[in-house]
Amino acid sequence: MSLIRLDNVSKIYAQGQENQVNALDGVTLEINQGEFVAIIGTSGSGKSTMMNILGCLDVPTAGEYYLDGVPVSGCTRRELEQIRSRQIAFIFQGYNLILSLNVWQNVALPLLYQKVPLAQRKQRAMEALEQVEIAVKADSRPSQLSGGQQQRVAIARAIAARSPILMADEPTGALDSRTEAQVLELMKALNRQGTTVILITHDTGIAAQAHRTVRVMDGKIVHDSLWDGVLMDINAPAMGVTP
Amino acid sequence: MNALIMALDSIREKKGRSFLTMLGIIIGVTAVLVLVALVSGYNADITAYYEKLGVNKVNVTVTWYDTSRSVDVMSALYDYCDQELSDMVEEVSPDLSTSLPMKYRTTTLDSSTVYLGSDEYAVCNNYTLKSGRDINAFDIEQRNRVCVLGSYVADSLFQYADPIGETVYLGGEPFTVVGTYYQKDGGTEGAMDDMAVIPYSLDRAMLQTDYLTSFTVKVDKSDNMDAVMANLEVFLADTISSTVGEYELENGNAAMTESTEEMISMSVVLGGIAGIALLVGGIGIMNIMLVTVTERTREIGIKKSIGAPRGEIIGQFLVEAAILSGMGGVIGILLGYGLSLILGKAMYDLILFPGGLLPRRERSRHRPGGGGAVRPGHRLRRLRRQLLPGSGADPGPVLQAGGAGRGPRGSGKRQRLPHPLFRRGGKPLGGLLHQPGL
Repeated sequence: MSLIRLDNVSKIYAQGQENQVNALDGVTLEINQGEFVAIIGTSGSGKSTMMNILGCLDVPTAGEYYLDGVPVSGCTRRELEQIRSRQIAFIFQGYNLILSLNVWQNVALPLLYQKVPLAQRKQRAMEALEQVEIAVKADSRPSQLSGGQQQRVAIARAIAARSPILMADEPTGALDSRTEAQVLELMKALNRQGTTVILITHDTGIAAQAHRTVRVMDGKIVHDSLWDGVLMDINAPAMGVTP
Repeated sequence: MNALIMALDSIREKKGRSFLTMLGIIIGVTAVLVLVALVSGYNADITAYYEKLGVNKVNVTVTWYDTSRSVDVMSALYDYCDQELSDMVEEVSPDLSTSLPMKYRTTTLDSSTVYLGSDEYAVCNNYTLKSGRDINAFDIEQRNRVCVLGSYVADSLFQYADPIGETVYLGGEPFTVVGTYYQKDGGTEGAMDDMAVIPYSLDRAMLQTDYLTSFTVKVDKSDNMDAVMANLEVFLADTISSTVGEYELENGNAAMTESTEEMISMSVVLGGIAGIALLVGGIGIMNIMLVTVTERTREIGIKKSIGAPRGEIIGQFLVEAAILSGMGGVIGILLGYGLSLILGKAMYDLILFPGGLLPRRERSRHRPGGGGAVRPGHRLRRLRRQLLPGSGADPGPVLQAGGAGRGPRGSGKRQRLPHPLFRRGGKPLGGLLHQPGL
C-alpha cells in the first residue's frame, strides 16, 4: 500500500463565484514510502495547492486523500494537527523560521508540539544541527544567518522532528547554486535514510535530482515518470524554466 | 506554560508597544480608583464635618410679630421637652450668635463668634469641656458675665496660659472665663473653635434684642427625629399663635442626608465615566491583539505547519492579552492607590483643616458623662427646678392656640449649613449665617 494516495482530488477556490479557480482538477497520484518525488510546474499550475493538500494544510473540495491508508477528510482538526506534528515536515522557500526564537529553539519547536521533554528537545535539536553542520550557530538568531544557513536550520528542524515525510516547497529558490547543491545533498541524504521526500519546484534542473518527476499543469498531472537519467526534459513541453 | 513563556517573550520584545497597550488599562483603572476614592473621601469628610457640628438636632426658628416677649418660648420649650419628650430629647439650648471682638490685655480677636447658649449648649453642639466649668443655670438666671472659650480663642488670647478666672472683653464688656472647650475643628481662625459661649439671658445686653429667635433641640438618636419634630410641631402650634409670630422647624440631619445622596449620585456618575475610560482601555488591548495576530499570520502559519495545536496558538495570544491587561491593572491599582493617597491628603487638608479632629475614641472619652447614669444637663435641670421653682412649673402653652392659628410648617431649609468645600480655611461663614435677622 502506498504511503500517499490522492484519489481524484479537486480543489476549487471561490467556488460558485465568478472568479472561481480550479486549482486542482481530478488529480490521482500515489507516492510510496522512501520515494524522492519532484512535483514540477509553472506558477499557477496548482503545485502549491497540491503541496498544501499533501501536507494537510488544506483539505480538498472533492476526492479523497489517503495518508498511510487513512482518509484525511475524515480527520478532526486535532487529528490533522497530530499528523502535521508527527508525519510531515516542511521546508519552504522563505525558510520560515520564527525570528523571535534562536536557532536551536526553532529546531526544537516541532518537538515541543510532540510533547518531548526539554532536555531531550535540546539534545535532538543539537544532533540535527550537527547533521547539517551548523551547530556552532545554535544560539544565534535566524536573522544573523545567511540564506543557506537558514535553510539548513529549516532542514535541521525537519530532521529533528523525525517525520517520515519531508515536503520541500522551492527549498532552493532563494539560494545560489553552491548552497543549492548543499541543500539538495542534505535532502538526498535524508531520503537515503528512509524519509519520503516530496520536492516542489519550477526548476527542471532541481527536479532532475529526484527519482521521479510529476509534472502539473492547469491543475492536472500531465506527466509522471521515473527519472531514468536520460529521458525527460528534452521531449517535454516548455516548462517555464527561469532563464 | 509554553504559551506563558512565549507571551512573556513577545511582550519583552516589544516593550514600547506593550506599554502603550497597557496605558489604556492603566489610565482606566487609575481613574476609576482615584475618582471613586475621592468621592468617598469627600463624603467621609462631609459626614465628619456634620458630625462635628453635632448630629440629631432639630433647629427651631421663630419670627416674632409681637415683640413684647409675651411668650417665653425658651422656658416653654425647655419644660415641654423635659416633661413630655424626656425619653427622646437630650438637651435644649437657644442658638444665637454674634460676631464680637474679643480682647484680653493687648491681644484682640476681631472675627470670633459669640454664642448665646444655655447650660446645654455644649452638648447640643458637640463641644466638650476641657478645663474649668461650663455655663450653668445660675449664670443664666443671674445673668452672670461668664464665658467658656473655644480652643482657638483660648490659645490665641492666652498663649497656652491658664485662662480660667481671667477677664476677657467681649465687645467691650468684661467677662470672666470659667472654662474652655476641646478643639473639635481645625483650631484655626474662622473654624468651629473660634468662638465663646455666654449665658443666653444676656441677649438683651449683648444683642440689643428683646427676644430669642433660634433654638436647638438635641435628640438622642436619629430614629427619634421625626417623632420629636411631629411633637414639637403640635407644641409650637399651640404655643405660638399666628398673631404672635411664625415658627419653623428644621431637621438638622437633612442637610447631611442630602449631601450624602448627592455624593452617591456623583460617585455613580464619576465612576461611570471612569468605567468608560476602562472600557476604552480594554478595547485598546483588543485592537492591539488583533493587529498582533494580523502581523503574525506568518508565524502562526509556520507553527501550524510544524504541528502546533490550535489551542496552543490561541493560548499564546490570549495569555499575552491577559498578561497585558493584568499588568496594566496592577500598575493602575498601584498608581491609583498612590494617587488617591496624595490627592486625598491634599483634598483632606483643604477641607478638614489638618489635625483638627481628635481620634474618635479619644473624643468619646472626653465627652462628659459619656457612660454615666445621669447626664449633666439633667442634673442641672433638676438643680434649677429646685432652686427656681417658678421657672418650669407651667409647661403648657401660654397663649391658647386659635383654630387657624398655626404657624407655617417648617418645610424649607432657611439656613443652609456652610458646605465644607467653601470653607477652605477662610472667614467664618457660619458665624454670619447664625446671626439673628440674617
